[in-house]
Amino acid sequence: MNKRTRLQSLLLYTLVISLVVFCVFPFLQILSTSLKHPIDWGNPSLIPRVLHLDAYKELLGLMPPKEADIPASIQRLLDNPALSAEKKQQLLAKFSSGGDVFPFGRYMLNTFAISFVTAICSTFLASLAAYAIARLRFPAQSLMANGVLFVYMVGGVLLMVPLYQMSVSVGLASSVGGTLLSLFLIYLIQTLPVAMYMLGNYFRTIPFSLEEAAMMDGCSRVEAFWRIIMPLSKPMLFTVFIYCFVIAWNEYLFASVFLKQYQDFHTLPLALQTLFTSKNAIWDRIMAASMLTLLPVIICFMLANRHLSGGLTDGGVKG
Amino acid sequence: MSSVLIKNEASLGLKLVAPAVGIIGLLVVYPILFNLYLSFFDVQLNGNKTFVGLQNYQSLLSNPDYYHSVGVSVLYLIGTVIGTTVLGLAAAILMNQSFRFRNLARGLILLPYFAPVISVVFGWQFIFDPVNGIYNHMVVDVLHLTDTRENLIGNPDSALLVVILFDIWKHFPIAYLLFLAKLQSVPKDLYEAAAIDGQNAWGRFWHVTLPELRFVIATVVLLRVIWNLNRFEDVYLLAPNVETLPIFTYYQAFAGLVDQGTAATISVIQLLVLVALIWLYVRKVLKW
Repeated sequence: MNKRTRLQSLLLYTLVISLVVFCVFPFLQILSTSLKHPIDWGNPSLIPRVLHLDAYKELLGLMPPKEADIPASIQRLLDNPALSAEKKQQLLAKFSSGGDVFPFGRYMLNTFAISFVTAICSTFLASLAAYAIARLRFPAQSLMANGVLFVYMVGGVLLMVPLYQMSVSVGLASSVGGTLLSLFLIYLIQTLPVAMYMLGNYFRTIPFSLEEAAMMDGCSRVEAFWRIIMPLSKPMLFTVFIYCFVIAWNEYLFASVFLKQYQDFHTLPLALQTLFTSKNAIWDRIMAASMLTLLPVIICFMLANRHLSGGLTDGGVKG
Repeated sequence: MSSVLIKNEASLGLKLVAPAVGIIGLLVVYPILFNLYLSFFDVQLNGNKTFVGLQNYQSLLSNPDYYHSVGVSVLYLIGTVIGTTVLGLAAAILMNQSFRFRNLARGLILLPYFAPVISVVFGWQFIFDPVNGIYNHMVVDVLHLTDTRENLIGNPDSALLVVILFDIWKHFPIAYLLFLAKLQSVPKDLYEAAAIDGQNAWGRFWHVTLPELRFVIATVVLLRVIWNLNRFEDVYLLAPNVETLPIFTYYQAFAGLVDQGTAATISVIQLLVLVALIWLYVRKVLKW
């Protein structure tokens, strides 16, 4: 093709830069606000006047505990030498146990645990099923292939009432363990169809002759799958794993329905929403928490980026 | 193949799909049927039910709030489907050009799609914050378009626009990826032939790109409708006052005067619409 004129180049770069800015601006806004001191919030510039890391320190538990505000009457009591040291401790504890400490690390760990377990199980179960649907002939095979597609498009909103009622009626919703199990199973069905669809399409691109050759050499079908297909699919398996992990990491609806009463087991999306609507809604803390919630996703994204575009267009078009 | 081998293959196949299909059957197929069943009951949060027949359907279909949220959903669908498709197409054509830092740009524009909704909604909330936000700063202080700072997200009417814009921002990358994949497979000589015929850039777009892409465009539009019909989190977390159908259902099921039977009823109706759309997708789009 002919070379671009200078005007065309200028136009092209202007459009590209506008598009990238449109995509990235909200992220810059989050980062910038998380680093700004409250007095600086009205400042429209994205660059903070002074770097203010308190919000991060607070969330990550790096802040020295705040000096408790002790009323004068209590202070007089404390100064009384007749009071035993133990009593003084108890009194002090009442005022220094700042009820508004936000256990961010704990929420992050909860979210990581459930997302990790979901992604592992989902990728594993999906690879078995996807292999069968892509390669083996068995009754109801095409029904299942189409069924996956259908299930993959039924959103969680349509299932929230029956799933909630089911877990109530079998008694899972009344205990912490049961609730966590329900949530894990729900995350599994949120990710399984996507994973099956992506892996099924990928397995079909691997030449069958490779398995055939292995089977000629005496491998059973299962061994051929395990020794030939799985290693060849590593990049895709990894991509699917990341994709499932991110879906579970981001999930809000079912977490909010099931975990509402078990505050210790909240996941990040639920915790952030609670933080936002609570009295602690302070922009720098919200933004720092958002930034920290984003971070693992961005890391996953960078790890999987090379295979992501292909994997998504091959079928993983959820969302 | 001998019949023994065929039998073995079939039994292995069934064994491999059994766990996944079992879970899907238990947690998707059964709940869909259970939902239909629940729609004929007055259902409490604790699981108590009383049979009410078609009463949920009658009261829902005579409830103006339901029609209001159907209307909001339709506006939301029109805005987001057109927006994501057009922007996705434009972005794909742009990113199909060669320029410096193209890979970086391609990576960056996928970010909104992957980012957790819960994180990015706060960024958007801040942008439209009446006191500190850049939007009001630009409109009032810099461009002097209006005199008063407005809380765009606080007002349900304008919040719908923000929600649509947010959805376009967040979901155009998936349309972009589908378009880009197709664009890369359009034969170069079609463009060269069009250039020889004296077509300018616009003509090449109109006579080559669009016809080549028409099936992908249809796919994207249909998939956007299917996904956005069920979209809950993006809307609820950014602007809970925009009552699209999923939000309306959520409020019926878990907030205020809890009425899970009605919520089930809404889901049944919505599922029927969805099944029709998926059928269209499978019959038309996948056959192309």
